[in-house]
Amino acid sequence: MKDLASRIQQALESAPCWMEARYHRRRSHSLQVQKGLVKQTKANLTSGLGIRCLVDGAWGFSSTSDLSAEGIQKAMRQAIDCAKSISQMKKSAVPALPPTTLSQGEFTLEGYEALEKMPLQQKLQAALRAESEIRTASKLIQTSTCVYSEQFEDKILITTDGARALSRLARNEIRLSAIAADHGEMAEGQQTVGRTGAWDCLFTEHPMEEMGTTAAQLAVDLLKAPRIPGGLATLILSPAMVGLLSHEAIGHTVEADFVLSGSVAQGKLGHTVASPLVSLCDSGFLPQLPHAGGSLLVDDEGVPTQNTVIIENGVLKSYLHNRESAAAFGVAPTGNARAWLYQDEPLIRMRNTYVQPGNQSLQEIIESTEDGYLVDCPLGGQADATGEFMFGAQKVMKIEKGKIKHMYRGATVSGQAFDVLRSVDAVSKEFHLDLGAGYCGKGQPAKVDAGGPYLRCQATIGGVQE
Amino acid sequence: MTSLNRETRRLEEAGSQLISDAFKAGADAAEVCGSYGSKSKISLEKQDYHLAASDEGYQFGIRVLKGQRQGFASTNSLNSKELKEVANRAVEIATFSPENPYFSIQSVAESSSAPNLALWDPTLALTSLQTQKEWIEHLRKEILKDKRIRLNEGTLEVGKSLSLVVNSKGTHQLESETYCAWSLMAMAADSETLTSFDYFSNIARQSARLGDHIVQTTARFREALLKNLKTGTAPSYKGKVVFSPRAVLDILIEPLCYHLNGRVILEGSSRWNLQTLGEQVLSPLLNLKDTAWLADRFSCGTFDREGTPTQNLQMIEAGVLGKIFLDHYSAKGLHQTSTGHASGGSSSLPSVGPHTLLVAPGATPFSELMRQTNSNTGALLLVHRFSGQTDPVTGDFSGVAKGAEWWVNGEFQFCVKETLISGNVFECLSQSLLGLSAETSIVDSGSESPAALIDGISVTSG
Repeated sequence: MKDLASRIQQALESAPCWMEARYHRRRSHSLQVQKGLVKQTKANLTSGLGIRCLVDGAWGFSSTSDLSAEGIQKAMRQAIDCAKSISQMKKSAVPALPPTTLSQGEFTLEGYEALEKMPLQQKLQAALRAESEIRTASKLIQTSTCVYSEQFEDKILITTDGARALSRLARNEIRLSAIAADHGEMAEGQQTVGRTGAWDCLFTEHPMEEMGTTAAQLAVDLLKAPRIPGGLATLILSPAMVGLLSHEAIGHTVEADFVLSGSVAQGKLGHTVASPLVSLCDSGFLPQLPHAGGSLLVDDEGVPTQNTVIIENGVLKSYLHNRESAAAFGVAPTGNARAWLYQDEPLIRMRNTYVQPGNQSLQEIIESTEDGYLVDCPLGGQADATGEFMFGAQKVMKIEKGKIKHMYRGATVSGQAFDVLRSVDAVSKEFHLDLGAGYCGKGQPAKVDAGGPYLRCQATIGGVQE
Repeated sequence: MTSLNRETRRLEEAGSQLISDAFKAGADAAEVCGSYGSKSKISLEKQDYHLAASDEGYQFGIRVLKGQRQGFASTNSLNSKELKEVANRAVEIATFSPENPYFSIQSVAESSSAPNLALWDPTLALTSLQTQKEWIEHLRKEILKDKRIRLNEGTLEVGKSLSLVVNSKGTHQLESETYCAWSLMAMAADSETLTSFDYFSNIARQSARLGDHIVQTTARFREALLKNLKTGTAPSYKGKVVFSPRAVLDILIEPLCYHLNGRVILEGSSRWNLQTLGEQVLSPLLNLKDTAWLADRFSCGTFDREGTPTQNLQMIEAGVLGKIFLDHYSAKGLHQTSTGHASGGSSSLPSVGPHTLLVAPGATPFSELMRQTNSNTGALLLVHRFSGQTDPVTGDFSGVAKGAEWWVNGEFQFCVKETLISGNVFECLSQSLLGLSAETSIVDSGSESPAALIDGISVTSG
């Protein structure tokens, strides 16, 4: 890595403009076990260099897997040609990037070496055991699946204005699925977890066996569950659901590129957008949760990541920035530029997004809920620039007069992000980052995490009408 | 046929080396899926040009068998030493993986029935950056003709690619293609309303009249976006809803494909099985075909991920289950033969998926379909985009109907905001399917469908 870094540094010394070189080597493994059979065991290696430059107020980008000195020079020339090709057509030139704090040195997140040392065969044996746990949990289980995947990321980021960062991190995730069948009815239960770090950090909150039996029990319970009535309702969202809300409903609307395109958060800095009980952050690294799935120490522009307070006690404080958008807003970049592979240019993306915990216990919140639902087990979601969001939940429990009652089949929850945040009237002290094995899709995938406390709010459930 | 002679040679040589190295490492059979791609793209952001980019590269995936044990490894390197390491890694994985009786690498015939798809256009292959700039300027000018449009991002990409599948049993398939793909993500805003984002993408493989094509597709997208500015509120109800062609494909047909997937049938998670073939499983109004032979669509080609020749298949005819999608794995498990539906790229193992789905039109003109009304509301909802969740296992779906239109007596009234729909795919495609429009639309240069009038949908106003 250091030799390659020197070769890249040397090549960049001849750059006639601002230039960024990002080498990215990703090694990944994936295993899939289903009904006692190994369906998939694979290894992937992708490596190459992405060159981005700013010429005459226009961005150019080129990527190559040829890492020879000639290959690097060729990619540099192509990036410059690309930038020149559109510089005359741009209506508004990108100004030179202002100086900012840039990372220099080596940045490694804990767990890389431990995960690397653990043989793939050992992980396969664990996946076989996990799948077996699901299959034998109930006679109603028709199909049981365990998918494990891991990625080792090695990066070199060098810019002509001073960044020189070598970073390493490992991410892993496990997905357990159970499909139950009974008298023609079928239902699926899932449990997933995604972390940054070694094998063991996947199971710090729930042992693998427990995850398997939970997935199986959920599938069996859902077989008999009725469909939920649709309409506006009082909801207690679990930490995982709060994570989805934080990410989908708020996080995307405050990404500065969306803000500049006219998202609902445009012009709202300093405004009250949520209940004073709500404080929302996006962090590259949380010392108290070092294995959060979206952790990174340096972003793909060489900016050190930080804990960005987006909403503080209900007031919108900051957007999420890369270097270009930060310059446009006259603020410091927040370390949110991320690229999926070396062929991808960095985009503004979230990392670990969460609502800060409150003072009440979950039990107190449930007991003070007259009529509502406890919503858990996220299934993914989407958001709009308008702030309208939706996310799916596998498990919805009815609450009546302060007590948890029966389960409904999964449902979709929707609302207008800031309206929902204004309706928050209770925030628990229990807190988890719990997005599971989720990825964010915004042109490119990005591994993110999200979570928070239990939170009571008003939102619309997309259920049945009579 | 192709000017990618040097790239073809490199691809073939690397494929041969990988198979040879795998055998030296102890493999009993090996299959290589390789690809080469070269592309240049210009992107728009926030009403302006944003970035121009170029990329060129190779990708190789090798699947090996040692008895009934399988291993797979992939790389984007052409380096001989790294290719050898990848082949060794695939064999090493196979060595410690348990046996699975359904794995196989088979000999397949060269495609004989596929037509000449004209996937390669020498003119498009030689497109200059200047021409590409002219095309994207057409796109930018056309979408921004109305000042109420807010362009989030747009892209025009021109590329050429090669796909190769070779295996140790004699299979050898090679195909080249050129393409120009363009997409836009935008919203509309006036003094009172900000619409949802909308998105469209298109592809062409021939350069002739490409500028006109870009202008026409962009103009249609712009007009649809502007329509969303007229908003109103609909009441909650349960009853009839019209699904646009996009909604039919996204909400109903996609989960249906889960149950038509041979691997899902093999694992017992489909509601259908081999015994269901020939049975009435859905409404007699429904006819569904799959093809890989339409060159103007995203998913087309003469062979699949395993090199098996593609074919046209009538999946469902008048509601009767006719065929299922099979790759070699599911075909072996179900004692069938592959239908040429192994999907995936060079860096992934084969899975199963459709190519281009064609839902046959019905007999009712769209205008007549839209004159239907619900007795409880006196109106009808037309659903376009769906932002929600569909559980493929149960068929239950629930989500936000983005840009859905409220119609009364065949006349558009307004677009509804914050409105959710829910229902069940199998109910929608059985007794609740009341009619299909006589007109069909191609969605995002992919599958094609008529609109569908469906009863029993729950509409929840936010």
